[in-house]
Amino acid sequence: MRQRADQIEKLFAEGASHVLARALDNHSLTDESLIPRIRAAVDKYILKDNQQASAQEITDFINKLQADDLCLIVACEQGNQEAWSDLVERFSATVRSAARSASANEDGAEDLAQSIWAELYGLRIRKDGKPAGKLSYYSGRGSLAGWLRAVVAQLAVDQHRKQFRLVQTEEDADLDRIIQHSQTEDTWSGHGGVLNPEVEISQKLAAAQVQKALAQSIKQLSGEDRLLVKLYYFDGLRLHEAGAVLGVHEATASRRLTRIHAELRQQVEKILIETEGWTKPETKRAFSDIALHFEAGIEPLLATDGALRKNENEIAG
Amino acid sequence: MKQANNNEVDLLLRSLATRGANESPLPGGSTSGSENPTLFAHLDADELNSYSEGVLPAAARARYTEHLADCESCRRIVIGLTQAAGATRHYEVLDERRESGFWHKFAAFFSAPVLRYGVPALALSAVIAISMIALRQQRRSEFVAQNQPTSSPATSSEQTELRSTAESPATQQRAIEPKANADTSSLKRDLQADKNALDQPPTASPGASLTKEAAAKDSAKSGQAGGVVALSPSFAPEPPPLPRAQPTPGEADKLDTTSNEQTAEREDQARQREPMKDQPINATAPQDASKTGTLTLSTRRIQGLGVESTTESRSGGKDKKESRDEVETRNVSGRHFRHQGNAWIDTGYDPSRGTINVARGSEQFRSLVADEPGIRAIAERLGGEIIVVWKGKAYRIH
Repeated sequence: MRQRADQIEKLFAEGASHVLARALDNHSLTDESLIPRIRAAVDKYILKDNQQASAQEITDFINKLQADDLCLIVACEQGNQEAWSDLVERFSATVRSAARSASANEDGAEDLAQSIWAELYGLRIRKDGKPAGKLSYYSGRGSLAGWLRAVVAQLAVDQHRKQFRLVQTEEDADLDRIIQHSQTEDTWSGHGGVLNPEVEISQKLAAAQVQKALAQSIKQLSGEDRLLVKLYYFDGLRLHEAGAVLGVHEATASRRLTRIHAELRQQVEKILIETEGWTKPETKRAFSDIALHFEAGIEPLLATDGALRKNENEIAG
Repeated sequence: MKQANNNEVDLLLRSLATRGANESPLPGGSTSGSENPTLFAHLDADELNSYSEGVLPAAARARYTEHLADCESCRRIVIGLTQAAGATRHYEVLDERRESGFWHKFAAFFSAPVLRYGVPALALSAVIAISMIALRQQRRSEFVAQNQPTSSPATSSEQTELRSTAESPATQQRAIEPKANADTSSLKRDLQADKNALDQPPTASPGASLTKEAAAKDSAKSGQAGGVVALSPSFAPEPPPLPRAQPTPGEADKLDTTSNEQTAEREDQARQREPMKDQPINATAPQDASKTGTLTLSTRRIQGLGVESTTESRSGGKDKKESRDEVETRNVSGRHFRHQGNAWIDTGYDPSRGTINVARGSEQFRSLVADEPGIRAIAERLGGEIIVVWKGKAYRIH
């Protein structure tokens, strides 16, 4: 055990030297200043999932760190003013761009961008006397620009939450009314036809059971499949956008989605038969009826969906 | 059916997403981590960025995927980061394209997408080219295969013939046959007819003489005769010593004289053949003007067989010969004569046959012209030596 710990520490030391050697500007950093950062990154991304990760795996991980970005951030954390100037100069445009994307207006974007630098530097002081900023969370695994965008996005979400708790805007109230309307209106039977109350109740009950079974089936999907379903159906992404998040091609995402449809149908039928006591013909008829009714009311549903998303975007903005 | 099933599930999922946007049927479906901190520890900026850039180890990525599937807040940030990174990558690609110079284009020429289609196309072109070359060579080899057997026997037969003036007709026919074998069936039939005529033992009897004359006429009429036999009048074998009727003592001297003259004539013909030894086809060039048409036909046939080089070599002087033949041929009393040397020779005359020598002014001549006025007309109109075939007999009037 001790031997492995020593071996890993040795890997960290060698990795720190390697990172400094690869950096175009190491900002006069030493191996010792980099080792804690490297150790934290390896623990977080490698050893947390696999304590017995091989030396080669750890070395490969360290060798893929962004040497320049990591050295710049560590130098900034150590209070190197030159490094700070370099950071602000190089990434001001990135931060402003991210702030504009996360803000509804230019003023809000400017405020957000300015607050980012303060968040990065840290308003509080740590025990060691250094500012407790967000810079210490950068591992060097991804690009610094991407990390800054993520920081801006998280900050924007936090700010929005604070505002949302304090004041519910008039738009939110309107949104709630729309949502309430869509919930109360049964889209599966609300196609304008006059139904027998008994039949209507029966259909609503069947629809509710199918919906419940579908929700359970989605839970049972793997993480990748569930994320794809969420990205495509719940977040409204296109296939190529969902594929980009998952790191796969659009065609692959499409094939996966087709497979997921089949799996979900099988699982829903299984739940309905085993749990609800349905027969197979009943499940088939229920699927057909629900699809038929849904197709009849899909246009107003999509319109409502669009209105919902527009409001959500405005709120998020 | 399967597609319909998928469509039904697709519609159900859309419906569920619409309802779930507010009902939150799934854990974390629309809740933020801050509302349920015990269940959700949100991903930090570094994790979100690493996930969106796809640089995480597989195990860590799977762990974060589970979280993202249930955490809408983190998922939205990742979506935004991914789209921003995608735009950045797109612009980087555009910049790279702008920077591409000659070497970049040259390298792109050997890139995988180009090679994927270029290599098969190149291979296909090469196969087609090789096939065409192979086909051409095959045709050439076919020509060679026809030429080789025809030329060598002919040459050897000519040489043999030149050594010995007396050669059997069958041997000469065999020498000629290889050329004819490659010809059409009609050519073969003509050859066979001529061969039969040649193989027939010559007799002094009038009937036999008539048969031979008929065969000679057939040969003259048929194109083949020009193609093979008529092409080689000088190759025509000398007739074997014919069993003759016992001549009278008076005629014996004349016959001796005739035989001496014939020998001299054969020697002249042999001398004429000498320069033709180099080219077998040229050696068979007609000396008889009446066979010009036959020559043309045979030439065409030979061309059809692919003997183009020899035909080409002859084509130069062919026109001159034809024009000369037109001048040196003459029709008298229904007989066609060509002028050869100092003699007028009946085109129906077969050199392989023997002739009856008749001297002008002799008793024999007078009796002949008295019996055959046609011969008289011929002798009067054509001066000098004449060889005329009359009623199956060849007369040499000198």
